[in-house]
Amino acid sequence: MSDIPQPDILQRFEQNPIITAADIPFTCNTVFNGSTVKIDGRYYILLRVEGQHGHSVFALGRSDDGYHFEMEPHPVMTPAAEGPMLRYEEAGIEDPRVTVLEGTIYVFYTAFGSYGACMAVATTEDFTSFERIGLVSGPNNKDGVLFPRKVQGRYVRLDRPVADDIGRIWISFSEDLIHWGRSQALISPREGHWDSYRVGASTVPIETEDGWLEIYHGIKMTSGGPIYRAGVALLDKENPANLIGRSAIPILAPRTEYERIGDINNVVYPSAAVLEPDGEVKVYYGAADTYICVATTTLDELIEIAGNREY
Amino acid sequence: MPRKLHRNVVERWKGNPVLGIGDLPFAASDVHNAGAVRHEGQVILLVTVEELDGRCAIYRARSRNGRDFRIDAQPMFAPIGEGPFAPYERGGVRDARVTRFDGAYYITYLASSHYGYRLGLATTEDFTSVRRIALISEPDTKNGVLFPRKINGKYALLQRPQEGGSIWISYSEDLVYWGEQEVVMTPRGGYWDYHRIGASTVPIETDSGWLVIYYGIKVMPGGPLFRLGAAFLGMENPAEVRGRSNVPILAPLERYERVGDVSNLVFSCGALLSDDRTELEIYYGASDSCIALGTVRMKALERICNLGGS
Repeated sequence: MSDIPQPDILQRFEQNPIITAADIPFTCNTVFNGSTVKIDGRYYILLRVEGQHGHSVFALGRSDDGYHFEMEPHPVMTPAAEGPMLRYEEAGIEDPRVTVLEGTIYVFYTAFGSYGACMAVATTEDFTSFERIGLVSGPNNKDGVLFPRKVQGRYVRLDRPVADDIGRIWISFSEDLIHWGRSQALISPREGHWDSYRVGASTVPIETEDGWLEIYHGIKMTSGGPIYRAGVALLDKENPANLIGRSAIPILAPRTEYERIGDINNVVYPSAAVLEPDGEVKVYYGAADTYICVATTTLDELIEIAGNREY
Repeated sequence: MPRKLHRNVVERWKGNPVLGIGDLPFAASDVHNAGAVRHEGQVILLVTVEELDGRCAIYRARSRNGRDFRIDAQPMFAPIGEGPFAPYERGGVRDARVTRFDGAYYITYLASSHYGYRLGLATTEDFTSVRRIALISEPDTKNGVLFPRKINGKYALLQRPQEGGSIWISYSEDLVYWGEQEVVMTPRGGYWDYHRIGASTVPIETDSGWLVIYYGIKVMPGGPLFRLGAAFLGMENPAEVRGRSNVPILAPLERYERVGDVSNLVFSCGALLSDDRTELEIYYGASDSCIALGTVRMKALERICNLGGS
């Protein structure tokens, strides 16, 4: 076995998965898509937990090492029970992405209601109470991530509107986080590649000397169903609408039992990347829509593989 | 008497259609629909023409009486070849709606490309040169209509994201960045507007609220059936629907509405209110093949939306 080359760039944590439904202190069906941030040396993971009824809520885990998380006993955010967001969250809240920007903690998430999946934003100070700002997109738009700093004076986000069943990563800008515009298509599926069907933003971009590093997910449709894999792209530092690098190959693909078998088979779905002071990057990802896992690599390696400039 | 049963409240002009492919001074594939506005004593239609290659462009047609139109030989607004708008207009520009706003004219239009359908916003003063302002939606979004004044200090736009087929509203302080999205009206199961709806005309301020003519689609075994309805929206909160027609105000019936590139279609992008504000003239595309005209009394629209008393 050891003679077989390991094709993935990311090295899986050997005790994966790090969080499963059994770790959640309240009844639930499954866990996935956790967003991890490191604040003052502590790791916080906000993750999507699907309840038995099928609607999702957010749970919180805290950790000192980024691998072993202690879960809060109750959901920290649940669909709006009243107010203007009520009708847009009737079917749950999904896929949180946490960005720390100028000292404020923002959560982009999918509000799922009877009008479709829309992007919404909330803020929090402690990860246990959340203040909703509101919708920031129309329906059928997901995978929203907010950049961790303003670029040329404007907030920047990536998102994934669907047009004619094709999902591309778009970029939009805002002066106030509420009104968005100057949207442009940024990363499209590539014919024949591992990301030939749909692509979507996955992690909050990491600022590097070489540009904004974005780990994204790509889907290939096969006769047996979709395969979700992770790739990496590099965006220009001062004009992130300019794609300057993109990995020709995935950095992680489903291979292990916990990635192959679950509610949705053959899924690795990156949802957060934490850059450590020594240049290590911890990539958190959902596996088979059933587990939370982590895998590591270095920033240098990610930049190198993004820089092969194949579009 | 039975004839009255299928009569719509909108009365067709006897001279219909107003403008067809035979009126064009050039060869084209078809005439789809038109935005309408009054400017310097003329009625101006911004006509979506499908060129022979299949892509659409917007042509200006002018008339003194609103009935006899002369259309230009060159497009007023065609897909742009370079710059930031170009990749999104490669498949054509169409479905212009014109909003008069503080003496300026704004044109919302549909830009199509392999990136999908999105809304564009442009402005003109004289209907000869047009300046693009911004692309103001992500895909797939159609049927953008700008309100003719600010609401609570902000520009307001009706639009129809493909997902869900509902009419949404969003707001902006600068016409470029848009947000505060909200659902306004949804398709109604079983009704004539069962599957998808979209705003057709620029909202008109009335005592009963903002009057919007909208279209509704019911998908039949033979294909979609496009009809027109009316709704009144709250003056200060247009997301509040004050009245909505349970029946269509215009449905395909005449041959030019039944037979064409897209059969069984009436679809409007523009309507004009009479000077005495009692009557609405609706310019509508029929079967994606010609422009027709229908008139309706404002009182009848209020009545059909269960507003305005008897």
